[in-house]
Amino acid sequence: MPFYNLIIRDLKLAFFSSTNFLFAASFLILILILVPFVFGTNVGSFSILFTGFIWISIALSILLTLDRVFNSDYEDGNLDTIILTQQSLELIVCSKFISHWIANCIPIIIVIPIAGLLFEVGIQDILNIILNVLLGSPGMVFIGSAISALTLGSKRAGIYKTIIIVPLYIPFIIFGSNQESGLVLLGLSMTAFVFSLFTSIYSLRLYAE
Amino acid sequence: MYLKLPNKIIDSLRRMLPAFIVATIVTFMIGIYYAILNSPPDYLQGDSMRIMYVHVPAAWLALSSYSFLALSCIAWFIFRNPIFNLFAKSIAPIGATFTLIALVTGSIWGKPTWGTWWAWDARLTSMLILFFLYIAYIMTWQTITNKDLAAKISAALGIIGFINIPIIKFSVDWWNTLHQPATISKLSAPSIHISMLTPLMLMTCAYVLFLITLFLIRYKIEILDQKILRVSS
Repeated sequence: MPFYNLIIRDLKLAFFSSTNFLFAASFLILILILVPFVFGTNVGSFSILFTGFIWISIALSILLTLDRVFNSDYEDGNLDTIILTQQSLELIVCSKFISHWIANCIPIIIVIPIAGLLFEVGIQDILNIILNVLLGSPGMVFIGSAISALTLGSKRAGIYKTIIIVPLYIPFIIFGSNQESGLVLLGLSMTAFVFSLFTSIYSLRLYAE
Repeated sequence: MYLKLPNKIIDSLRRMLPAFIVATIVTFMIGIYYAILNSPPDYLQGDSMRIMYVHVPAAWLALSSYSFLALSCIAWFIFRNPIFNLFAKSIAPIGATFTLIALVTGSIWGKPTWGTWWAWDARLTSMLILFFLYIAYIMTWQTITNKDLAAKISAALGIIGFINIPIIKFSVDWWNTLHQPATISKLSAPSIHISMLTPLMLMTCAYVLFLITLFLIRYKIEILDQKILRVSS
């Protein structure tokens, strides 16, 4: 089952090879640590902003770890090997999406209740935020991975990738910070999945030639 | 990358360009005369609304150049003729400049009327995002050194941006809006007086001619670039 093997390999790389696994969760906490220094210690008054901080830190942590999806494999030549296995490209791309989402967004979702305690956010609000993140963050991972696949060939891809990706994240962040728009987020994620699949396969074909 | 008929195109461009340049200058002079001297000031905003004659055509053309860019990207995917890529590549910096003009004049106009340089309003935000889509498209050609690859990737990027614009527009509209609704979209009965519509239309014609002139110049440069590349490689 090469599909599952690929997921497990990527997860092993993410969890064991370096400190990557702790990155996403600690990133959220670190951003939240900065907040009281900016807005003062009266925590209850800015629990409204809590959702916003969660979404900004999700967007940033996905952006900062995008190199792991295709770029590291592309640079050390593993991507060619994976493509040569004659596994269908759709499954390869899907496994990349899934493993990146598990490695990045699951730790954030686990940390959200703890972070909510620090900011005196109610249980109901926390559950709503978690639901929204569950529905919305896959779409953000899909888009980010697709764009990083598209820009594999560029030398200084960092800021360039960010300029492309951030406009594509705006709808997710708008609907994510509203608590009643879970269904819209689901629709956005599904649309993003279709387009990202096409874009990733198109660009992998380009680079595999 | 190969090109059909480049010599013929360059020759016809060379003949067409002077006519377009003269037409642009003449239309701009007539348009500016009407806009500044021969049209009434607004009863509410006074003379500050005259910036509309610069602002509105720039915004229209910024949007339509992106449509043109995306359509030529789609055409490239269908016909695989590099000419369409050169269309998109030549229009991108012009469209970005028009977007910047619309943003800057809009914020100059916003200061006396809304009382602020910038508002996080739906239309302003989506114009700003449009600007970044242009920047991303232009950067593709610069960061990816392999021209063949850059052509394929930039075509995909143009289409992604095109799909994204309505989504951003919809979500941002839903988020926040302050800008007035479109005034001249309904052609039967425009809610703007004829004395203001005339200079606006004249300025729009001047802008379109200006856009075409710049586009022809840039297109000629791109074709020459391709020829140099082909000779030197």
